[in-house]
Amino acid sequence: MLARTARRSLLETRSALPPTFLLPFRASITTVSHTLETGNVPDPLIHSGHHISQELKSKVQNRDNFPELAPLSTSPKPSPRAAHARDDAVIRDLTPSIRELLPLLHSQPAHYLTIHIHGHPYLITQGDEIRLPFLMPRVKPGDVLRLNRATHIGSRDYTLKAPEAQKGTRDAPKKIFYLDDRLFVCRATVVGIEQEPLRVMEKTKRRQRHIKHVKSQHRFTVLKISDVEVKSLEEYEGLLDRR
Amino acid sequence: MPYFRITLMRSAIGLPSKTHGVLAALGLKKRMATVYHPVSSSVAGQIMRIKELVDVKEVEHAMTKDEMRAARRPDPGYYVEKRDAKVRREREGVEGLAV
Repeated sequence: MLARTARRSLLETRSALPPTFLLPFRASITTVSHTLETGNVPDPLIHSGHHISQELKSKVQNRDNFPELAPLSTSPKPSPRAAHARDDAVIRDLTPSIRELLPLLHSQPAHYLTIHIHGHPYLITQGDEIRLPFLMPRVKPGDVLRLNRATHIGSRDYTLKAPEAQKGTRDAPKKIFYLDDRLFVCRATVVGIEQEPLRVMEKTKRRQRHIKHVKSQHRFTVLKISDVEVKSLEEYEGLLDRR
Repeated sequence: MPYFRITLMRSAIGLPSKTHGVLAALGLKKRMATVYHPVSSSVAGQIMRIKELVDVKEVEHAMTKDEMRAARRPDPGYYVEKRDAKVRREREGVEGLAV
């Protein structure tokens, strides 16, 4: 599944050579970027690190044996986003492995999630308190947040993972693949704000008596994870039909 | 209208001042900075002066600095489902007064 969606996105972004731009002294010079952007790297190099077992490949190729499958697509996210927001993908496909193993994952008593807040992963389970490395703006203690971006849902014996993130360059940002947010429910309450101990940095130059003291005391938001729930296959399919 | 998307890949430290002048004219102050200039023969000439230092691509639309930053910004990964009870009551109180 990963190979197909990655190849498809590459084909769409790889554009034809730009038209010849006429210059006074030279003819037929084209402006083509030579950096390692997603559109420039050839297919085999991108897939060189991906080790997909023969079994999984044959499963994916024999997809016609499962006529009731939802159409293969990374549909656009439901919430409105800025025009130029980063192009992260939420994988909304119901693969055969999810059909087969989600009931087993759901049946296990305890679950963990790797949720992403502003692109950074946090491995959490119910009851955890996480101190974020930043102050979350526009939230007050007592607010309930719904966390909807996760890359891993796991239990003791099973883990559901999203495809590996595509490494980014300065020109082509990193692309993270997330799991369908309808598969799980994760809520966190804003507990409060913590402060680090006061730090004083002394700034001075050689042979100068004046020393400038710069105070720093950063603040951090603390969240307590109140709910971690993995949906069952029936509930998930119900949610899929509703869309 | 097509634009040149110019990214400074190599520094001009140690190069003659004229080269520094070309970079300043294009607006390239730091390595890995990106600027957009409309496609024209004069801009092309400037690029030819510093072609060993930059990476150039032709695009249809120019992006502003904010747009480029926003393009790299990831999903927040959360939304506020429920505000604190006290804050909600304050908000409802204000709306009541306004009515």
